[in-house]
Amino acid sequence: MTSTSSKATYVVGWAAIVGLALSLLFALVLSPPEVNMGDSVRLLYVHLPTIAVSYLGYGITFLGSVIYLRNQSPFWDLLAGAAAEIGVLFTAFVLVTGAIWGKPTWGTYWEWDPRLTATTVMFIMYLGYLAIRRMDLPQEVRSRRAAVVGIIAIANLIIVRYSVQWWRGLHQGQTLGVDTQLDGLMLFSLFLSVVAFLLLGAWLLIHRFRVAWLERQVEDMRLARALSERRGEAGGAALGGVVS
Amino acid sequence: MTDLDLTPRDVPTGGSGSLRNWLIVGALAVVAAFVLFQALTSARVYFLNVDEAVAQRADLGDDTFNMQGTVISEPMSTGEAMVFTMTFGGENAEIRHIGAEPTDLFKVGEQVVAKGHWDGTEFVSNQLLVKHSEEYVEDNPDRLDYELDDNGNPVHSSEPTDGTTSDGSDDAGQ
Amino acid sequence: MNHWAFVAAGYLIVFVGIAAYAAWVLTRGRALSGEVPEERRRFLD
Repeated sequence: MTSTSSKATYVVGWAAIVGLALSLLFALVLSPPEVNMGDSVRLLYVHLPTIAVSYLGYGITFLGSVIYLRNQSPFWDLLAGAAAEIGVLFTAFVLVTGAIWGKPTWGTYWEWDPRLTATTVMFIMYLGYLAIRRMDLPQEVRSRRAAVVGIIAIANLIIVRYSVQWWRGLHQGQTLGVDTQLDGLMLFSLFLSVVAFLLLGAWLLIHRFRVAWLERQVEDMRLARALSERRGEAGGAALGGVVS
Repeated sequence: MTDLDLTPRDVPTGGSGSLRNWLIVGALAVVAAFVLFQALTSARVYFLNVDEAVAQRADLGDDTFNMQGTVISEPMSTGEAMVFTMTFGGENAEIRHIGAEPTDLFKVGEQVVAKGHWDGTEFVSNQLLVKHSEEYVEDNPDRLDYELDDNGNPVHSSEPTDGTTSDGSDDAGQ
Repeated sequence: MNHWAFVAAGYLIVFVGIAAYAAWVLTRGRALSGEVPEERRRFLD
């Protein structure tokens, strides 16, 4: 066992690869162009699934943070951190694919539209969460502060979700809402992409959690070693040159 | 005789590490402040529908704001400007757009957002963005074959014809 | 206007980004596994 792989990651990993291959086929080849957008509609099948992975990640961070504050379990602390990192990565993808999609459709890469701004704020807040986890502080202090931010930051999801309804802007409304109209193959392609990306997100999360676990073990071992060396020095200093 | 290594171990001490802490916090604070500043200054640019913009015309003066509406006339080119009519809530506005051309999604029936100011009863725009609705309609090459009724009006049902497909293909059920 | 360049750019950035992140996670996992004794490598409740 010299890697973070296991039977579970093989199964989920292969399912994700097959799912992504199929979703690429549907997204880029089989699904039709949109009547106004033309082929740029194909960016929907990567834009929306990446925010789905982000939301899932941040949801897990919230859950993990709540449970960690109740029982100080390292499992939930590390899972929350791993999920937030994946969430941040996929929020970056959402911002980039959105900007690329905006140019040929809206006519601009960026506009300080409510949803775009809210998503950027969410991105920065979770970057802050990750920064807290890397701070040079005692481990429990770090984890506790991160958990508090992990709970507060969930408000971003609600703001991003409703930003298209609360304020006027350029971004379209909910794609998967009651008023939605997505023609046959488009809806299926979107569904397939979301499933494939969620599988990919799960695979990444398992690996990232295991890496976080290993990092914690290394940190604990280093701390233990440093402590015992200090004790050794205290005792050894008296012996002076004899030790050499 | 070897000296004891007395350099600090890498246990959290608040030494050189806290400089890194402050750098991280500082960098994020700068980015957050920038985003907040941008969001607040652009939020001060009103986002009005055509009917509201018409009603507040006197108050708005030559302030810059965003006006949202649906394109109802084919745009006409007059020199460097593009002239068309926009509507919302029963009010129309004449738009004179000077600036980058909108994307090819711009056409009659689409919602657009024009940024500019009133000039008399005309709205002078210098940024013209196209809004897309959450409706995604398949661009079917032979959609006109079955989507127009006898009067040439579009219909939204794809009722099967009498069992035979006119173009000879059997993918009508997709 | 041809939109395929935008589509290609979007998919390329996302898939290259995911591949790079996955490669980083996997190699880091392998490297750290070597530093941690066998019985502490996995979270077991």
